[in-house]
Amino acid sequence: MKNKWIEFLTGRVTVKVSGRGIERFINVLTRNGLMVWNVKRHGTETITFTMRLKDALKIRHYARERDCSISFLKRAGMPFLFKRLLKNSGFAAGAFLFFLLIMLLSNVIWGIEIKGAKPATEYQIRKELDKMGVKIGKVQLFVDNVEGIQRKLTNNVGNLTWVGVDLKGTTYHLQVVEKKEPEKVEQLAPRNLVAKKKAIIDSMYVETGQKMVDIHDHVEAGELLVSGVIGREGQTQQIAAVGEVWGETWYRSHVELPLETNFFVFNGQEKQKHSLILGNIEIPIWGFGEPEFKDYEAEKNVKKINFINWELPISIGNETLRGREEFTRTYTEAEAEKNALDLAKNKIKSGLDEEAIIKDEKILHKELKDGKVILDIHFKVIENIAVGQPIPKETPE
Amino acid sequence: MAKKWGLRVRNWMAQKMDLPQDVMMDLPRITMIGQIHIYIENHRGLITFTDKELRLLLKQGQLQIKGKSFVIKTILPEEILLEGKIDQVLYINENPGGTK
Repeated sequence: MKNKWIEFLTGRVTVKVSGRGIERFINVLTRNGLMVWNVKRHGTETITFTMRLKDALKIRHYARERDCSISFLKRAGMPFLFKRLLKNSGFAAGAFLFFLLIMLLSNVIWGIEIKGAKPATEYQIRKELDKMGVKIGKVQLFVDNVEGIQRKLTNNVGNLTWVGVDLKGTTYHLQVVEKKEPEKVEQLAPRNLVAKKKAIIDSMYVETGQKMVDIHDHVEAGELLVSGVIGREGQTQQIAAVGEVWGETWYRSHVELPLETNFFVFNGQEKQKHSLILGNIEIPIWGFGEPEFKDYEAEKNVKKINFINWELPISIGNETLRGREEFTRTYTEAEAEKNALDLAKNKIKSGLDEEAIIKDEKILHKELKDGKVILDIHFKVIENIAVGQPIPKETPE
Repeated sequence: MAKKWGLRVRNWMAQKMDLPQDVMMDLPRITMIGQIHIYIENHRGLITFTDKELRLLLKQGQLQIKGKSFVIKTILPEEILLEGKIDQVLYINENPGGTK
């Protein structure tokens, strides 16, 4: 038997024919190549049968020649389904819009939580976030990625030591560590102040405690500077010595600086590439071809698209190609020396307290070898050399 | 007489050359599956169709099928597939000098 699926695709119609000489009518139809099936008789003058939609259009012509009346009963198949679908297209459009809306809403920022910050800092952070465009109601796709937000926040908000930005679904969680914690009232245990390293005392400021050394005294590391034991002999009392002892200390530094250095510098040329990533397949949307500059560094950003709680395997990629050039820096000997000195200074400074100052530097040894300037420098630094040392509890005899 | 001649030649050829008779002689080929289906090839058109009777025109004479709840499943110019409960299949021969 013939499969009727093709007829389903092209559409079929059930036809009711009534009149006399219906058999002859069917003969005429079949002889003219019109397919007819499921012929049934209902009563003496009526039959029904099914035929193709395209044949149904011709049937009237044959029916007119004989006195048969025709009516169409049932319409089935794809053309009619399609027609109905068009009629009800509002539903399909609605469903599509619904998913689109949910997808859109899943990619919107719905919350920003800041933890560990004082109200003032929090306000500042919020203002900074606003400036960056990280606001409730903004689409995540047009906002910097988490690392970028983190970097900008730490750069732009002064009193932040560290901020951790975490994107969970539609909410940004910010974990903040502030630079200046509210000062704790320190309960100091009885202690002495001792020298942290060999030095010559430059100046002293003693808040509490008994001064044991004087200005211009030479002290060794671990030597007692301010004693926490006060009072006359016999009536001594132990307190925490507080104070600052500024001493001149010495550092030696060895630096080497080549006269010629190669750098890569960005020349400001940029090319943006956007693409849609489906699983492992990347489809470029915008920015085709190789950039006109030969040497470049590529930075790639991938943004995932969420659907409610899930990450869809679709993401939007954004690649920035930055043109770079090789650049050779050449120093004269004098310049190299100056820069080497600065370098050494910075190196020393990074190891010191913030309040320490470099008083004097002296180049001990200078050498030019293999295109490098080699310097040995002696630094005189004024720094606080006092460190606390607890007084051991005197055990009663 | 000439027509009869041709018929005899064809009959002879069909027999001697072992060819199927229906092709050679334009006879109907009827396939029945139990009582429920009947498939007729080489008919010449419908004469009567009700749910109890089907009459087909053949090259020579008519074929009458009687039964119950007949439905023509497919009909093509020379083929027909009938479904229902078939009770009888009858050949009605033209009687020369009859009514028609």
